[in-house]
Amino acid sequence: MTEVSKLADNKYTAGFSTQTDTEDFEPGLTEDIVKRLSAIKDEPEWVTEFRLKAFAHLQTIKEPTWAHVNYAPIDYQALSYYSAPKFRNKDEIPPEILETFDKLGVPLHERDALLGIETKDPNIIPTVAVDVVFDSVSIATTFQKELKKHGIIFCSISEAIQEHPELVKEYLGSVIPAKDNYFACLNSAVFTDGTFCYIPKGVKCPMELNTYFRINARNTGQFERTLIIADADSYVSYLEGCTAPAYDENTLHAAVVELVTHDRAEIKYSTVQNWYPGDENGVGGVLNFVTKRGLCKGESSKISWTQVETGSAVTWKYPSCILRGDNSVGEFYSVAVTKGKQMADTGTKMLHVGKNTKSTIISKGISFGDSSNTYRGQVRIGKKAHNSRNYTQCDSLMLDNSKAITIPVVSQHNNTSIVEHEASAGKLSEEALYYLQSRGLDEENAVSLVVNGFCKDVFQKLPLEFAAEANQLLNVTLEGAVG
Amino acid sequence: MLVTQEFTIKVDNETILNDMTLEYGPGVHVIMGPNGVGKSTFAHALMGNPNYETEGAVEFNGKDLLSMETYERARAGLFISFQAPTPIEGLSNFQFIKQAMTSLNKNQSIKENLSTFRQSANDLGLGSEWDKKQLNVEASGGEKKKNELIQLDMLDPQTAILDEPDSGLDIDAIKILVEKLRAFVDKGDKTLIIVSHYAELITKLNPDTVTILDKKGNAKQTEDIQVAYDILENGFNG
Repeated sequence: MTEVSKLADNKYTAGFSTQTDTEDFEPGLTEDIVKRLSAIKDEPEWVTEFRLKAFAHLQTIKEPTWAHVNYAPIDYQALSYYSAPKFRNKDEIPPEILETFDKLGVPLHERDALLGIETKDPNIIPTVAVDVVFDSVSIATTFQKELKKHGIIFCSISEAIQEHPELVKEYLGSVIPAKDNYFACLNSAVFTDGTFCYIPKGVKCPMELNTYFRINARNTGQFERTLIIADADSYVSYLEGCTAPAYDENTLHAAVVELVTHDRAEIKYSTVQNWYPGDENGVGGVLNFVTKRGLCKGESSKISWTQVETGSAVTWKYPSCILRGDNSVGEFYSVAVTKGKQMADTGTKMLHVGKNTKSTIISKGISFGDSSNTYRGQVRIGKKAHNSRNYTQCDSLMLDNSKAITIPVVSQHNNTSIVEHEASAGKLSEEALYYLQSRGLDEENAVSLVVNGFCKDVFQKLPLEFAAEANQLLNVTLEGAVG
Repeated sequence: MLVTQEFTIKVDNETILNDMTLEYGPGVHVIMGPNGVGKSTFAHALMGNPNYETEGAVEFNGKDLLSMETYERARAGLFISFQAPTPIEGLSNFQFIKQAMTSLNKNQSIKENLSTFRQSANDLGLGSEWDKKQLNVEASGGEKKKNELIQLDMLDPQTAILDEPDSGLDIDAIKILVEKLRAFVDKGDKTLIIVSHYAELITKLNPDTVTILDKKGNAKQTEDIQVAYDILENGFNG
């Protein structure tokens, strides 16, 4: 507990900003900006086309308004769509940027790897490889050589467009078409960087793949794009983490993540989302509008989403699975914590298309202060999804004046399939807190134990390396929320 | 030393116990009274349960107990056992004890603590996996009672108020309960206040004082232990 009390004074520890020379676009969202973005990244014509088509469609649609979130209208013309630290190549990363990641606690071996030290001791087998995205660009990707030995491609999406165009062309937009929704469409027009992974047939990725997203620049949107493909009989565990400075203005983040699994392949995708949530009066904070979807294309393939969401002023995010392959499996495990004036509208969609498909949804919402926390889920069992099953469990825990809303939608079109739903909603038990306090635990500590217990089912799904990090993040979040 | 002066306990402005002046020094004290007079209320009001309003003064080892938060009372050395302890999902028995011991500044190694915990659970017949079980979740009434006893063992308070620790226990478990309570008192300088109507327990613990709570909300403390035995024989109206 001592570590937690040390952090008690800093409610949001990642809220600092870094001074570094950058190359920025002037604010504005025009066809010309989209073309310049594509040009600065030296993209092939088909990518420019992809962007321009999306941009044209964007002009014909409006932001969705159905979610339980409120925010001041976004002035898309006032944002800059490109901000990149100046350095010529990846051996010359400015020291202040390395310091930034040091300060954020990106583990040391990863930082060493960023400095090009890779593994000094041949006996140390790295367990995590990391791609680091700073505003609009990927600044480094570690252990690429090591991964290459296994035929694994792990690089920024910009690099993948240059080096592996055939793969990117086949899959980009194949799960989330540009016209899917407003924010996905915006992303398709102006995406800057993100991560690309390809795991070849039969390969179990020997280490965790990790992308660390850092927003630094003011008045800049971050539009990352991630694409992960697991070929037949392969396996990968991927984790993303994210933080941003504490600015008074809102920062827009509109990401798209597409996953594809082929026959018997598995992707385990974990997120620890700690974007700046704004201050206690709801000033500033990241507007987090994210479209994440996985396609279980092959038979007996599996996609598992685990998310721990503590940050962002507004969260709009529904990591989903299309279970197309027969016997495919989709999972969604989520802990969403909101406090102060935060608003989260998050959940999942499980679309059962193939036979004998299975999905599991476990969602834990915890809300403090004046925040609102909505679970929105859709389970659709299609006509041909014989003998499919879904199990959904949604629990919410409320404190103070917060709101918890649960909106589960089920559409069943096949009577050989079973859909089960369990839900609970409750105030944090005063009795439980009193019991713990009668054994000497102070209020903060007591709340933390109850909340950690409440989230345990989900935390157990996180990769070991990150479970502790998530736990600590949760405790720091609670420090700011209680009392 | 726990000393109450003109101590009054109310719930929603209704007086439950009135004007109690009582003194509990090291040794064994029994509290008796008919059902519903407020024996549990007495224990929880001393622990600082927010559902109770209190008046008067309570001095605990020289400190003003009523001005303290519940966790501060625990840290000052006060412990009460719960009749129906609250279940907490996802929190294991041992994780809970570990946190409580840290809060109470009990400096022992985790390894030592775990072996003491397992020994204590084993003595009470709770099985070898008890440390991993979730706190009071899917536990029987008897198991919860035993778990409270393990906590008494591990947390080793200066003053323990035990609310009918014998109820729900079978005859073998009661034997162990008596041994454990005897051992607790024999450590010296310990105050054990026990709410019980169980003759064998009272006889074996050989109390120093008896406090009778009556239906009017009054408390009477005496060193004449015969009062307790008379009640055990004839009931409160005898």
